[in-house]
Amino acid sequence: MSSTQTTEVSEPRVVHLEDLKVMVGGQGGDGTLTVINLLSHALKQIGAYTYDTRNVLSRIRGGHADGVLRASVRPILSIGDGLDVLVAFDEEAVEVAKEQLLDHAVVIYDNSHSQLKTVLKPTVKVYSAKFGEIAGLELKKTLLKNTVSFAVLCRVLGLADQLAEEAINWRYARRGGDVLQSNLQALKIGFRLADQLGVKPSISFPKTEPKQGLIQITGDEAVGMGFIAGGGRFYAGYPITPASEILEYLQANLPKFNGVALQAEDEISAINMALGASLAGARAMVATSGPGQDLMTEGLGQAGMAEIPLVIVEVQRAGPSTGMPTKHEQSDVNHVVFAGHGDFPRLVVAPADASDCFYLTVDALNLAEKYQLPVFILMDQALGQNTQTVPEFDFSRVNIDRGKLLTQADLNRISVYKRYEFTEDGVSPRTILGTPDGFFQVTGNEHNEWGFVSVDRINRAKIMRKRMLKVEAAKKDMPRGRVYGDQDARVGFISYGSNLGPILEAMEQLGKQGFKTKFLLLRSIYPLLEEVQEFLESVNTAFVVESNLTGQLAGLIRREYGYADKIVRINKYDGSVFRPSDIVSQTLSQLPRNGGE
Amino acid sequence: MGVSEVPKVFTPQTPIWCPGCGDFGVLAALKKALNDLKIPPHETILVGGIGCSGHIHNDLLVYGYHSLHGRLLPTAIGIKLANPRLTVIAAGGDGDGYAIGGNHFLHALRRNPSIVYLVMNNGTYGLTKGQPSPTAQIGFEGTKEIPFEPILTALSIRSTTFVARGFSGNQVQLQFLIKEAIQHANAGKGFAFLDVLSPCVTYNDTYAEWRKSTVDMNADKSFDPTNRALVFERVLNTLQEGKIPTGLLYKGESPSFESMQLKDPASPIATQDLTPAGKIEEFKKLIARYR
Ligand SMILES: Cc1ncc(C[n+]2csc(CCOP(=O)(O)OP(=O)(O)O)c2C)c(N)n1
Ligand code: SF4
Ligand SMILES: [Mg+2]
Repeated sequence: MSSTQTTEVSEPRVVHLEDLKVMVGGQGGDGTLTVINLLSHALKQIGAYTYDTRNVLSRIRGGHADGVLRASVRPILSIGDGLDVLVAFDEEAVEVAKEQLLDHAVVIYDNSHSQLKTVLKPTVKVYSAKFGEIAGLELKKTLLKNTVSFAVLCRVLGLADQLAEEAINWRYARRGGDVLQSNLQALKIGFRLADQLGVKPSISFPKTEPKQGLIQITGDEAVGMGFIAGGGRFYAGYPITPASEILEYLQANLPKFNGVALQAEDEISAINMALGASLAGARAMVATSGPGQDLMTEGLGQAGMAEIPLVIVEVQRAGPSTGMPTKHEQSDVNHVVFAGHGDFPRLVVAPADASDCFYLTVDALNLAEKYQLPVFILMDQALGQNTQTVPEFDFSRVNIDRGKLLTQADLNRISVYKRYEFTEDGVSPRTILGTPDGFFQVTGNEHNEWGFVSVDRINRAKIMRKRMLKVEAAKKDMPRGRVYGDQDARVGFISYGSNLGPILEAMEQLGKQGFKTKFLLLRSIYPLLEEVQEFLESVNTAFVVESNLTGQLAGLIRREYGYADKIVRINKYDGSVFRPSDIVSQTLSQLPRNGGE
Repeated sequence: MGVSEVPKVFTPQTPIWCPGCGDFGVLAALKKALNDLKIPPHETILVGGIGCSGHIHNDLLVYGYHSLHGRLLPTAIGIKLANPRLTVIAAGGDGDGYAIGGNHFLHALRRNPSIVYLVMNNGTYGLTKGQPSPTAQIGFEGTKEIPFEPILTALSIRSTTFVARGFSGNQVQLQFLIKEAIQHANAGKGFAFLDVLSPCVTYNDTYAEWRKSTVDMNADKSFDPTNRALVFERVLNTLQEGKIPTGLLYKGESPSFESMQLKDPASPIATQDLTPAGKIEEFKKLIARYR
């Protein structure tokens, strides 16, 4: 049998798409994400907005890994529904993708190990070749099958060979001669195979000039960049999916700005190191996911009680316990809002896309110092790890507000300095270590204005109120939510984080079916702001969309504002992100008979 | 400004320790050492742990921080990295440092940050009313556990640079050791670990016993504190004879944590100008690879 084969199709056809979804799947280590990365770069050059994700569809078996790339002529923040092209390095990848394959889909299959047995829709076109075996024979490196398959993929999409070559250059130029050369050779082999297979462009994506001023970046990287721009200079972390990229980003880049990013022995140490650095005067941050947040909870309370500025990034993953480490979930809302014993102030902001990750990190640093408390940046796996196309960050918008921070010159003007002085907004002036007249006692024990341990009843009641006052005072500076959709709609969605993209697309689909909807995207989770009440007042039904079983955000909203009769939950907790179709179907099935009017 | 002069800030307060508590001796020696060395008070931070011992920071006019139970070392390391110019002294109990903070202790020994770590070792949990600590002797409060020997642990980690043990009942030696420790740390040579036998007169009064069993290893001129293997052997032998070795036990060289981690230890992170204005071009370089 020849090494290449093509299924018979009666007529060549080209499907024109303004919204393209490509999945690359195989075993971990097959280089699937490399293909996604190359294609994403190539498509950006012809003016596409891209959004890509890893592993989203992975099921049961251990080794399977995949990535999905979506490209569109307009900005997108979701993987959407359906697949137009699949590159599969094994049978399992085909099984995983099967249900999502659209009628016009093309499958590029590596049959080095076995012929494809999975039965697909008759309209699906399959190109099979021994990519791995050929790469192994001709280049002595089986792994180069990814670049070989990329060549065939580009031909299927009718992308110019030169564009593919540019992508290879872009990715491998830094790695030096050998790597670059072998990948360029692999690309040539891929083109030759495509010729032998008789590949004709069958899916096309509009070609325009590349859009200027856009970047492709993950939320985690954007947080790292926001931290640096916002004056963050001390970071401590402990590796944990899906927050490790923040540690890695800062270890690579913070030293350039004379800062330091440390890998501590555990999360307990990380948060206490950051507290120490903050006391000394550095803007400090830690990042983690649920299991690490468990360990950081002790330090969280300390930051709240001792009034030490600190930013904590919590990139949620599927819990509880070790849960599904690489999977998406939004089940730590309760954790960040309520974790810790006793009553103490905290703030929780929630970015929704990579831009937000950048700007809200700057805001969080300002809030932490202005109100001298812990500030959470609540994220989720999809937001943290998926690459999205967003406008370049505008560094001139970065503003640094250190709040009531006294310098020696300020101290010269006052007669008494008490670290925990009672003030109108609850915020006491602070000093940093080394200030000649700024001596303080800072403690997590209950204390008086001087910072000395105290169990005096009158002081206790007063200083408890002082600390909590700061949450009220901070409301004016918390990031406002955003309202999308039809102002007059009586059916609304409330959500946050990476659900932004899927909800906007679901609203469009619902609109086409005649349902008017609107959407409040929350960016301040704690405290909730009046905007939530206003929104709830304006609708008859509010669907609270979140990736968890128990409806934690819905619970928080009910606890604060009531409206139990209006709030309906839309939940997903299988480890995968919401697709627009999930939201559409859950909305329709739960909509009151009168259509929510 | 001297340590005992009071400006417009808080007035130091005597810790509420039981009369006769060993920690008074540690506090006295620390005050003396800071005064003698003329360490600027505003550039000094005393990080206390949680325990009776942890209250030591209340009685000095320096910056004071009362950390979480067992977490004083990570806190002190964070401070030192943010501002290496500061004199950073962490001081806590044996429960704090060897039980709940044991993991941080190991990693601090390994990393060698230039801070002083003073453990007020009384073999018990004073503040929670006398339970056995990891250094409690077998039989104390019925404990059936083998005691932890922090000196051997410190010696066994190859990057330690300063290992010492004092006794609150021996002021002359203790003052000397604290001064040596502060000078070691402030010279940027690394982690100055000083275990101080500091009896808890209320729950574990070991004064009489420790007066008898402590041996000043430095009194023997043949004792060479720079030879790690020999020090280990001598300390081990002394312990096996039922004696407690004290003195400056080991001094070595290894790069300090801050010198390894910081790009420019001379310009502290904590006092940098953060205004973005002059850095926009540098920031833009961060964006380049995402275009
Ligand atoms: C996480 C945590 N667990 C328990 C305690 C209670 N606690 C306070 S002090 C202490 C032990 C103190 O012993 P040690 O560190 O030896 O100090 P000492 O009082 O003997 O000076 C304990 C267990 C606490 N504060 N925090
Ligand atoms: S209980 Fe023991 S350690 Fe605590 S103050 Fe009293 S004597 Fe000192
Ligand atoms: Mg003790």
